[in-house]
Amino acid sequence: MNTSSPASIRPLHHFWRVFLIGGLISYRALFYWISPWQYVPTMLAAPLFQILFFVYLGRATGVASTGFFVVGNAMQICSMAGIYGMTMAIANERQFQTLSPILATPSNRLAIFLGRGLPVLITGLQTSCFGFLASALLLGFRPVVAGLPLLLLAVTVTAASCTGFGMALGSLGLRVRDVWLVSNIAYFAVLLVCGVEVPLHQLPAAVRVVAQVLPLTHGIAAGRLLAAGRSGGTALTDILLEFLVGVTWVAVAYLLFRYFERAGRRTGAFDRL
Amino acid sequence: MTGPSPQELLAAVRGWPRVLAIGWLYQLKMQAQSGFMIMTALIQPLIFATIAMADQQAGNRGLPVLYYALGAGIMGIWSTVVFGCGGMISWQRHQGMLEPLVMAPVPFALVLMAITLGTATVGLYSLVATMLWAALVFRVHVQLADPLLFGVAGAATVVSLGLLGLVLGSSFVLYRNSNAISNMLEYPVWLITGLLVPLSLLPGWTHPLAYALAPTWGVEALRAAALGGQPLPAIGWCLGTSLAYLLLGVWLVGVVERRARRTATLSFQ
Repeated sequence: MNTSSPASIRPLHHFWRVFLIGGLISYRALFYWISPWQYVPTMLAAPLFQILFFVYLGRATGVASTGFFVVGNAMQICSMAGIYGMTMAIANERQFQTLSPILATPSNRLAIFLGRGLPVLITGLQTSCFGFLASALLLGFRPVVAGLPLLLLAVTVTAASCTGFGMALGSLGLRVRDVWLVSNIAYFAVLLVCGVEVPLHQLPAAVRVVAQVLPLTHGIAAGRLLAAGRSGGTALTDILLEFLVGVTWVAVAYLLFRYFERAGRRTGAFDRL
Repeated sequence: MTGPSPQELLAAVRGWPRVLAIGWLYQLKMQAQSGFMIMTALIQPLIFATIAMADQQAGNRGLPVLYYALGAGIMGIWSTVVFGCGGMISWQRHQGMLEPLVMAPVPFALVLMAITLGTATVGLYSLVATMLWAALVFRVHVQLADPLLFGVAGAATVVSLGLLGLVLGSSFVLYRNSNAISNMLEYPVWLITGLLVPLSLLPGWTHPLAYALAPTWGVEALRAAALGGQPLPAIGWCLGTSLAYLLLGVWLVGVVERRARRTATLSFQ
């Protein structure tokens, strides 16, 4: 009996296998904060303290409401997974000297690449949801209930676009010596540039232009509208813009990944640190 | 076998300041070239200073911009301490330097103290950077009310945070995931010690914790010296907490060292 799949199905089956199983295995192997001893302090406690810190700073300066800082920070903390997690998921292959064996396989590069993003996206989503929940319990944050489904959509899209941005940083890690420096700067810079802690209209025009092409800016704008009960077309437009920003970053990341792969093959320098 | 004579002990003790000074200088030079430390002590505080100062200018302007610049500067020192000192013993072990340092004839606590004080001194980058940032970007006229006491307050702050680093470094070694604890400790200490948020806005139960932590007194001393006030009581509290951290740190280092010798686990993670 011939049990093999038809030839046209096999590549698709292989793609999904590498995407799902390969992505999960690489996440388990490379995401450094996966154990509870790391996950709880780093992915839950630290983001919660971040929210509290900025809410109190907002109260001290009187620049905006508690809701402004809760939504901004609860959505931004998903980039903890997106930026650092994706840097680990891609750049650590080079650090652990496992990049060459992976790139020697005939597996679909897009599946290898995107598969790493899915668990990271889910982790980021978890962190943001935890942030909103903790803010509701500790700070009395109460979003408008009718806006919650779209708020969840905005958070998911934002976590995805942060993952795309993290993919680009991770791809840079295939070449630059200290990608963690870049990731750290990126994580803190988005706090300032993307309207997380400072209302966007208070920032200089040049910074506002940069913010348009970074993740979080549009997603957070949508989140703030939805939490305040304004679920009109503006929020949907912002979610769509956030999605487009994310797709663009994924494309940039994939092109960088392939470029560094080809350059590495040419120079024989995949794992050179 | 007899122990060292009083003359030998005295000669050894006379050498301690030199050990401390050379160790401090070496650590300062090494940390000042670390990309991570530059990020932690320079770029990160500037981002936080900008956020706080921009919010101040857009908000109620209840407190002066320099208030936030100084707070963000101390935030940078705390970050260098919590990351630089939190993993110092693990780092020495990773580098294969732990055994030689423990075997050296000088007390191990003294060697570690040089490391933690050097690391805290690198944090001064952030204080200078945030004040310059306030002057250059936010056009704040930085005029210190008492420059001399400001310098004394800065030195007292660095010493107290360095000695707090000794306590952290020696206690973190008992935990395998010390880096996760470091990740977690940045924001809560920034918050409860009143670096950017006045203590009066925080719940009362956080105040005793704040009074036990050196950054609270350090920032109060610096603000009083810069903006006008009485910095001496806060400097005194800085030195008092320093003494407490010194005693606690030396005791903890002794506990860790004895435990590692007894169980022969000095070089194990």
